[in-house]
Amino acid sequence: MQVYLPIAEMSVDAFLVVGIGLAVGLLSGLFGVGGGFLMTPLLIFIGIPSAVAVATSANQTMGASVSGLIAHWRRGNVDFKMGSVLTAGGLAGSALGVQLFALVRQAGQLDLVVAVFYVVVLGIVGGLMVAESGRAILRRRRQVRRRLHEHFWMHGLPLKMRFRQSRLYISVIPPALIGFGIGLLSAIMGVGGGFVLVPAMIYLLGIPTSVVIGTSLFQVVFVTAAVTVLQAVSTQSVDVVLSLLLMAGAVAGAQFGAALGSRLRGEETRGLLGLLVLAVAVELAVGLVRRPDELFSLGPVL
Amino acid sequence: MRAGAARACAVLALLAALADLLPRPAAAQALLAELSQREVAVTTGFSGAELLVFGTVTGEAAGPGAEIIVSLRGPTVPLVVRRKVRVAGVWLNGPSERFDAAPSFYAVASTRPVETILPAEERRRLRIGLASLPLSPRGQIENPDFRQALIDLKSGLRLYGEDPGGVRLVADRLFSARLFLPSAVVPGLYRVEILLVREGRVMAARDLALTVVRSGTSAEIWRFARDQPLAYGIAAVLLAAFAGWLGSVLFRR
Repeated sequence: MQVYLPIAEMSVDAFLVVGIGLAVGLLSGLFGVGGGFLMTPLLIFIGIPSAVAVATSANQTMGASVSGLIAHWRRGNVDFKMGSVLTAGGLAGSALGVQLFALVRQAGQLDLVVAVFYVVVLGIVGGLMVAESGRAILRRRRQVRRRLHEHFWMHGLPLKMRFRQSRLYISVIPPALIGFGIGLLSAIMGVGGGFVLVPAMIYLLGIPTSVVIGTSLFQVVFVTAAVTVLQAVSTQSVDVVLSLLLMAGAVAGAQFGAALGSRLRGEETRGLLGLLVLAVAVELAVGLVRRPDELFSLGPVL
Repeated sequence: MRAGAARACAVLALLAALADLLPRPAAAQALLAELSQREVAVTTGFSGAELLVFGTVTGEAAGPGAEIIVSLRGPTVPLVVRRKVRVAGVWLNGPSERFDAAPSFYAVASTRPVETILPAEERRRLRIGLASLPLSPRGQIENPDFRQALIDLKSGLRLYGEDPGGVRLVADRLFSARLFLPSAVVPGLYRVEILLVREGRVMAARDLALTVVRSGTSAEIWRFARDQPLAYGIAAVLLAAFAGWLGSVLFRR
């Protein structure tokens, strides 16, 4: 069944798009991430213009994260104070990111910049995840105990604040900076940033795992909402029809994924996610270096 | 009163003189044509449309040796063609050429290849055929590769095309041609031009208008996004939040 996308100005197979939503939803439910990092490349792959793919993926990620946030909110797993600090940084980052996005698009290098961001960010994160879960699997065998959390020099910066629910008393500068970085990535890559935010919150800020997911979802929802509005205003590339089709698939897929995920151990899940992230990075890196079949490309005058 | 009547008489005389300068109606009647539809609606279910152009050659113009050329031209839009170059092992967009007035859509169908029907200068004058398409490049690089790339890429999207043999001529009188508009067509005013050619000369021409309009829900969404981007962005956020909430209610465990 063909559906005409009003903003992308092309028709797509509705079943294909819902199927992509379902597949990404399944993986996101399995690994507890938004799945934007898979969604954007898949959309570009089926021929959606990069700008529409990024902006719409941010919108879709927001919808997918809302249901997760509601679930964690009910269980009281959201640190609102920490979430607000992260969000404040995230809003600033996304505002800058959307400006950068429009600038790069005008220069005709959007495809390149999006691809480079993906390769670098996914390469680093995927590599770290695989290495970390490998160590964790080994550690499990050796039964080494870990401390509650480590204290870094940056926790001692000025503007200290007490985050009761996270059982932390640290400077607001590191979380605000992390939020800023995630906001920037969110605007340029069309991702929620959970796959960067969650490890950063655990390893850099020392937030207990019980509140990490809920709090990161809090930040993701607000930042992707801001990105959606900013992209709608500055690049007019948010396609709600595409976004709704993706969400229809993703909501159902996430449920199956979550059921499947509860049967896997944490370290193994993280290792698998790391491999998946690395695979996407490698695929995109190959696309950058390999001689393209078509050297010429068409674009609108902006 | 009298002055007014005199002026009216003068106007009538002028009109009569003008009518004499215009071609005789009989010449225009040598070619009659119509389209299967004068409007193509781009709706939510739009996946392209087929346009049928049909007509007849009448009187002395009919007979062996008559050739028909049908062309369909879409609104012009500025475009950029970029070429990828290798920089430090990575392929990125390098030199570009801007085309200020490339037709967003162009299709030509004919009874025989247009090169064999019309001489080159006539094709250039009438802008018939992909090779004679005016694209008005504007750039420092005078490189025909960019022009060819534009035509090739557009042809790949089925937005440009030549169909020699696409016009069926029955008994040297009745003709018909089918032209396909893919889902990526730009809404706007389209022009269908039908030429009757004999021995390399255009004997008669017909010009018909076709409009491609956005309609239905997809048109409203597009207009909303363009006219009130802020409200549209907020609506997109609320819609996504609602869908997410609905999902969490439906699958509450």
